[in-house]
Amino acid sequence: MSEEKSLEGWTPEISDAATLAEVVDRAFDYRGDVTVVLQDGRELIGYLFNRNRDVAEPFVQMFEREGSGPSSVPYARIRAIRFTGKDTAAGNSYAAWLRGKEAAKAASSPPGA
Amino acid sequence: MSVPVSQMWTVATYVLGQRLRGNTRYPLVLMLEPLFRCNLACAGCGKIQYPGHVLRKHLSVEQCLAAVEECGAPMVSIPGGEPLMYPEIGRLVKELVARRKYVYLCTNAILLKEKLEAGLFTPSKYLSFSVHMDGLKQEHDEAVCRDGVFDQAVEGMKEALRRGFRVTTNTTLFDNASPIRMQMFFDEMMDLGVEGMMLSPGYSYSKAPDQEHFLRRQKTNELFSKMLENPKKRWKFNQSPLFLQFLMGKQDFECTPWGNPTYNLFGWQRPCYLLQEGYAPTFKELMETTRWEEYGRKSGNDKCQDCMVHCGHEPTAVNHTFTSWKGFRDTVAATVTGRL
Ligand code: SF4
Ligand code: SF4
Repeated sequence: MSEEKSLEGWTPEISDAATLAEVVDRAFDYRGDVTVVLQDGRELIGYLFNRNRDVAEPFVQMFEREGSGPSSVPYARIRAIRFTGKDTAAGNSYAAWLRGKEAAKAASSPPGA
Repeated sequence: MSVPVSQMWTVATYVLGQRLRGNTRYPLVLMLEPLFRCNLACAGCGKIQYPGHVLRKHLSVEQCLAAVEECGAPMVSIPGGEPLMYPEIGRLVKELVARRKYVYLCTNAILLKEKLEAGLFTPSKYLSFSVHMDGLKQEHDEAVCRDGVFDQAVEGMKEALRRGFRVTTNTTLFDNASPIRMQMFFDEMMDLGVEGMMLSPGYSYSKAPDQEHFLRRQKTNELFSKMLENPKKRWKFNQSPLFLQFLMGKQDFECTPWGNPTYNLFGWQRPCYLLQEGYAPTFKELMETTRWEEYGRKSGNDKCQDCMVHCGHEPTAVNHTFTSWKGFRDTVAATVTGRL
């Protein structure tokens, strides 16, 4: 089975608004923490769980790693997004589990069995 | 069908009331996810794949109750994550029962016996434990990626039945399911004494990591036709017979994505339990601002083409029963004869 390559470690260049929207969408789909770098240089580390572009001031929402409630950040304040956290979906498919199980079985069977 | 008459009556009067008020979009079952944490890690489950700090969070009981009030659906399903790991599950269920909501607590049942022994729950017609069972022992343990879970679940179910609780099962079928083994599974569950079983085909959605083993539409029709073509009278299903007929290819239903809205830590999930395309802060906003026309088979949306899952299509089947003579007649016929 083909598993899509993980974005873990990705540090995309954001050159214009279109790219920012695309990177935000990727971050929204990403199953790990990201680092959102703001225009003033501040960095927010956490899970980006929502984004809304259908409003006058598009925004993302995240649960910061060190913090309780969700916070909102307008797109306009975002300079960059880095995919810094572990991708919790990577390698966790049913197929991967079956492969692991088969490998364990093969390793525990006596040679020639 | 095994749904108690009082529950059917509540749903029927709710649906008719909505129709009389001229509402065409209304929720039937709130999918309330108080947490994403789970004590299993089933392959293909997208619900638990979050960073640790997100998994450690949960909704408060007050947030859950506010969502229930806001939504107004007569039934509340509590999936997860594993709801028995929610620290306030006893209080939450008690509050929901006090509000006369029909609660389906969807659990893998690993902790069920322990929680029952701790006196967390009281039997009620409003409360049903809906135990995740993906087939006979071998298939189930394989589906949940851990040996021994089937036996633990059976032990929990026996304890719940012994104490007078309503117990149902919920089963997701994958493309490797064997119709004969599933029929044996139905026998085994009925032998245990469960009130009814719920079935749904697995389906690939964008964020689920396992895209290969979920069922496609035609395969779904074949599998369910083989499995249910001569249903034994003793098999009881805790779901609409029209939905089962839909899975067999005998009914053609569109999706009703707002029928089972989902609320969790992130808010009200758009558009359905499967697809995570964004979140609305309130139920009202979910209903008013989601572009519903972009979902369901007719919309042409790729993600919906092969989808036949319970959360989108069972509400359509239930509405069909209570809002059309044909739907009502087909439901009564299936219920009386036991034939699908
Ligand atoms: S028991 Fe349910 S929530 Fe937990 S990992 Fe399995 S499918 Fe996911
Ligand atoms: S058909 Fe309905 S339930 Fe299925 S993915 Fe589309 S919106 Fe969701």
